[in-house]
Amino acid sequence: MEIFSDLMMGMSVALHPANLLYLLVGAFVGMTIGVIPGFGPAAGIALLLPVTFGMDPVGAVMMLSAIYYGAMYGGSITAILINTPGDAGSVASTLDGFPLAQQGRAGPALVMQAVASFTGGTVGVILITLLAPLFSQVARNFGPPEYFLLAIMGMLTLIVMIGGNWRLGVISALIGFALGTVGVDLESGRSRYTFGSAELIGGINFIPVAIGLFGLGELFFAFYSGSHKKRDGEMLTYDGKSNFWPNARDFIETRFTLVRGSIIGFVVGVIPGAGAAIAALIAYSVERSVSPRPENFGKGEMAGLVAPEAANNAASSGAMIPLLTLGIPGSASTAILLAAFLMWGLRPGPLLMEQNPEFAWGLIASMYLGNMALLLISIFAIPVFVLILKVPYRILAPLVVVVCTLGTFSVNSSYMEMYIMLGAGVIGFFMRLYGFSPAAVVLALVLGPLAEESLRQTLTISRGSFGIFITRPASLSIIVVTIALLVLLPLIQLYGQRVRKPKAS
Amino acid sequence: MRLIFMIAVLAAGLLYTFYAFNTLNFLSASGRLGPGFFPQILGLGIVSMTLISVITEARRMRATTNYFAAPADAFPGSALLIICMSVLYLIGLRLFGAIPGSIVFLLAMFWMISRGKPILNTVIAVMAPVLIYLLFRQLLSASMPEGLIPLPF
Repeated sequence: MEIFSDLMMGMSVALHPANLLYLLVGAFVGMTIGVIPGFGPAAGIALLLPVTFGMDPVGAVMMLSAIYYGAMYGGSITAILINTPGDAGSVASTLDGFPLAQQGRAGPALVMQAVASFTGGTVGVILITLLAPLFSQVARNFGPPEYFLLAIMGMLTLIVMIGGNWRLGVISALIGFALGTVGVDLESGRSRYTFGSAELIGGINFIPVAIGLFGLGELFFAFYSGSHKKRDGEMLTYDGKSNFWPNARDFIETRFTLVRGSIIGFVVGVIPGAGAAIAALIAYSVERSVSPRPENFGKGEMAGLVAPEAANNAASSGAMIPLLTLGIPGSASTAILLAAFLMWGLRPGPLLMEQNPEFAWGLIASMYLGNMALLLISIFAIPVFVLILKVPYRILAPLVVVVCTLGTFSVNSSYMEMYIMLGAGVIGFFMRLYGFSPAAVVLALVLGPLAEESLRQTLTISRGSFGIFITRPASLSIIVVTIALLVLLPLIQLYGQRVRKPKAS
Repeated sequence: MRLIFMIAVLAAGLLYTFYAFNTLNFLSASGRLGPGFFPQILGLGIVSMTLISVITEARRMRATTNYFAAPADAFPGSALLIICMSVLYLIGLRLFGAIPGSIVFLLAMFWMISRGKPILNTVIAVMAPVLIYLLFRQLLSASMPEGLIPLPF
């Protein structure tokens, strides 16, 4: 009952007209950003962060969160219509989404995608409502050793999920940690790597790095890939004339798929570092193995679209649990959200729900409303998003450079940060090109100071002994879970690759 | 080309590590972990991991013909163009300020990569910076680059 009354209090905050407006704007802008190929939630939040500066903190965070899960909805539209996932979480949606569009069922695919995203998102928020207070209770017993291990767990799972060359993932994470050491060391008061610059005393600001890596870096890579050479609306498979609404069979056949995908997505989303992409892939694999028609997967099976869509949206909700209750982001997007929280003076962690109930419950309540708004926007604004998709990249790209640059400057009126953003953009481009991980850099940049501080505190408490990590039951549990994840996740990934291979062939 | 990027990362890692060992103390005066503790560990990690990657990549390079050639479907020239234009844009902003700098940048970019519709391009190049300026400066009270050269607008 206490949860219900807290949720009602949160609903009263979320339903404030100004907050509701920010929520709707965030949902629409998030979807629009998600529709632009290559721009995922991380770039969206980083780009729009400066726009929220004049707002009330609760409304601002609601808007940024709406951009976060709105971009997850939008990324799937491009996956279905032009076979280009808006972000990694939508990769699995191309497997059956695009074949459905090729068969003239783009309309039903888009509507079912919206329904699946709504179900996944809403199931995820219901589970947040029920589980977040429990997580907070458990996390109250955590001290510096546990926080250090959680930060390392998030980094390790992210690196494992990068797949391919894990060594490049580790180097990316170390670069992020190294960037996090720039500025004054809070314990000794000693400047590190500032080289006499007053602007670096407070450390490297996170926003220009994130905008550079995810905004400009992606854009430079799109130029390298030739996106600006494509003709207007190339590959677009939606004519707006075919049957728009799904039939009853689509709904009946996927009713259990929705539930399975949502639960799998949420569980995977809670694991720091695992993320929406792996959640969608696992849900797709599971769905194929329980389907009576597994041979149809990859050829336009509705369940093959619904499962990853429900999962990636549930995962984005699940990722809010470690963020809100532990203050540990599990992905680049939630890392940027954490930076936004901190900028507004809100410190996520076990005490957030107790000390800032209006904010915490207001945010959770806003996610219910946001998902409802996104369902309606997804279905009724499809023609608008198709129009956005028709804007040639060669027009869009220079405008994005202008928004990134002016947005970065507006944060601290700093030319230095503009140069940092451009430098991060160029480095992000090469990282993307050569298999490094910009997401690991950003996550490590945010987690770095936390990891360093908690490790130093831990070793001070233990008088230099690392044995403290195995003598404390909570620390030992985190180590066991981390080892289990490091073994399990690559196996799941291998299974996912085997599922994708027949499609590729 | 990946080898060159890795060598650049290795060089940066060596500088970072040199600074950590040369300037920052591992322990503080009171015997606690000092400001160099974390950077020294990180520096050694970056250098060792990157060194292994450089050696692996160098072996791959030797085994590959045309290692430095870009893939046939890639546009390295276009990527270089947008990067150089972005550098010039930042210089333009510093000199002329937000609106004139952005208009010139957009006009130049459209002229180079989207020549088909000059009138539409000009309208977008003028309107977009003005709208962004109004949004940030007037609506959100955020500051915009003013420019070193005083202009009447």
